[in-house]
Amino acid sequence: MGLCRFRPPMSGRMGILWTLASLKDAAAVEYGCMGHMMYGRVFLNRAGLSEGARLYSTHIDETDISMGDTKRLDRVICEIISNDRPKAVFLLPSSVPMVIGTDLAALSRELQPEYPDVPIIPFGRGSFDVHGCDGVRDALTTLAETLPEDTGIDPDPKFNIIGSCADMFRFGADARETVRIMRGAFGLNPLCIMTSDASVDDIRKMGGARVNLVMRREGEKAAACLNKRFGTPCVSGRPYGVEGTLEWIEAVAEALGISPDQEFIRSEKTECLRRLAYAAPMVRHILRSHPDEAAVSLGGHADVVKGILGYAVGEVGLKKGACWCDCPGMASEDIPYLSENEWTEAVRPYGNGLLMANAEVLMHFGCNQNLQISNPDTRWRVNPYEPPFVGFRGALNLADLWFNAMLEKN
Amino acid sequence: MYVLDQNEVVFGCRKGLVAAVKEMDRSGAEAVMLISTCIPEVIGEDLECMIREMQPDIKAKLSIVRIGHFKCNSHPSGIWKTLVAYGDLMEDADTRSDTVNVLGRGPDGDHPPMPKLLKELSDRGFRLRFLAPGSGIDDFIAAPDASLNLVVSQFMNPLADMMSQRYGISAVSLHETYDVEGIDLLHSSVADALNISWDSEFKEQREKAAALQKQAADVFRGTQFVMTRENMLMPLPLAAYLSELGMIPALIHMEEYYPDDKKWAKVLIEKGHDPLVCHMVNEETDAKAIELVGPDISFGEIPRSSGKIRCVCDMQDLYGCIGYERTIALLERMLTVLNRRNGTEA
Repeated sequence: MGLCRFRPPMSGRMGILWTLASLKDAAAVEYGCMGHMMYGRVFLNRAGLSEGARLYSTHIDETDISMGDTKRLDRVICEIISNDRPKAVFLLPSSVPMVIGTDLAALSRELQPEYPDVPIIPFGRGSFDVHGCDGVRDALTTLAETLPEDTGIDPDPKFNIIGSCADMFRFGADARETVRIMRGAFGLNPLCIMTSDASVDDIRKMGGARVNLVMRREGEKAAACLNKRFGTPCVSGRPYGVEGTLEWIEAVAEALGISPDQEFIRSEKTECLRRLAYAAPMVRHILRSHPDEAAVSLGGHADVVKGILGYAVGEVGLKKGACWCDCPGMASEDIPYLSENEWTEAVRPYGNGLLMANAEVLMHFGCNQNLQISNPDTRWRVNPYEPPFVGFRGALNLADLWFNAMLEKN
Repeated sequence: MYVLDQNEVVFGCRKGLVAAVKEMDRSGAEAVMLISTCIPEVIGEDLECMIREMQPDIKAKLSIVRIGHFKCNSHPSGIWKTLVAYGDLMEDADTRSDTVNVLGRGPDGDHPPMPKLLKELSDRGFRLRFLAPGSGIDDFIAAPDASLNLVVSQFMNPLADMMSQRYGISAVSLHETYDVEGIDLLHSSVADALNISWDSEFKEQREKAAALQKQAADVFRGTQFVMTRENMLMPLPLAAYLSELGMIPALIHMEEYYPDDKKWAKVLIEKGHDPLVCHMVNEETDAKAIELVGPDISFGEIPRSSGKIRCVCDMQDLYGCIGYERTIALLERMLTVLNRRNGTEA
């Protein structure tokens, strides 16, 4: 990776932390230096996640490193379980224990018999060359493999969301819009919003859902695991745009084997199209007169970029600018992974167009900060009721952002 | 930031770091400070040797901060080590009798308000150079031309010591003293060092501080106090001052214990006090422990407590303040808290 001018991509360890930290009634223990979790908590508070797992780090000193002594981890777990009584303890790695070869999995196996009522679950992916998306995927998969219990199908039909995690920009708003659509179209309530609004018990009951909605590709392995164990069907993908959302609802209906509420769909669709129609002449004018201003460049999570691009080009009629994803493992021909120097150059030819990316990229190019679609963030997110990007309301929000950004340029 | 990969962890990161420093030099950086974190410290990468070898071929000034976090318990050592590393960027210069460095206050902003001592020096024609993390690198480089260092932050004492040894600049530490007579002596030291004399500039402030000090000693004698992690001031000098007022230290939070603390610990012990000292990190557990101790007053809020213990709040406002005005502000807050407890307004 080498030298970074901006904040480096999310590490595997941070991917795990941001996936687990929102789980209520859990404790996340990092075997690492003092202070790590305090900074982790600050990020989570800024992202709007002040509730969730209790975060601890054991601290390690030079003696622990040279002698390989892990007794302080034993003591920490004993104290946490006796004082906090969490329903699960997650062991997280950090860089020094990974370098000196501390075996967290073995340690947790040793400790587990002492605390039969509290699962002690180790997580890997704290090492180097591990990207944040690997950490998110591993965390989601490990949770799906270890915690769910055979509770049987919930008599009140419900669904799970898999992959709504704190690392995704505006995760809460997108999850709420998904829930709103599921209630409106199918009358289904959420069982577990994994992990941004879930407790350990919610994860335990996940097997009782009728369908798993996988909001990011890192959740597909967890969904496959739940499908294998409970037979729960899944629908992958994020619903962007009006047509995109309708297609997504159709896919969910197929997975559930039921028809969506046509009145709800007609009402939502009509409302969206009516409002978008008012602005359509302005978009057509800009496309004819200032085509360079109608190009949209996107940088962020591959699934987000792909979804928003599809809506922008396929439904609104904007042009594709420079698009890139922030994880090498998700790169494709259409949406490649670009390094700092590469995206800096790639965006330049589309300087008059719309740029949607993380806050640092927008700041670097002096662009409209309202067009942020990914992290790193630079603001404190106090208001949890910001508009979503997904679903019908997300379609209106995105169009509102684009149209006004174009108006401001003119 | 330089992100290590797996190969560099095994085979060393020197090659990549050299290339990175050269790239930063080419892009016009005036100075490059390498901050060595946990892994380079664990694998024993000799960055000090690397920058010495590189410096002759690099225009930017190079320095290094070694802060493997497993070697410390909290953030203060990272701050003062980084500030000391600024000292490595400094250049020899002829002493200017009209120049005074203020260590620990940034060049911009009115918060905390400019201390009267600094205002008076400025009015007398002294050029004050403010050195803090927000200062320009040029100010640090030029700092050895000052005739005196005035230290207003605990994080700056090690840099002041280093400048004293390397450049012979004497320093007056202003942030550790609260008592009126002690502040008198500090003002005399400043005057002696700068060959000036004070008239009655501080008379009004001094009288107010002395009166409040007497009142506080009458009111607070025999009361027990704790200091929490919300107290941003150096805990032991403050505890020593409070014990002079007859107060009894029961429990003190310290981020870390430094050589500078030894003399203040000795003062407390000589006064017959041996309080519990701890590092508070878990708010809920800390609150329970503090309530068990049962002090009369807390310096710093107690998050997640029942609210039974009266707290002197917003201690961070006093960080960077010095002199009689800080003593006045501290004592007024203490008396306000006490009056609230007694059901009267201050």
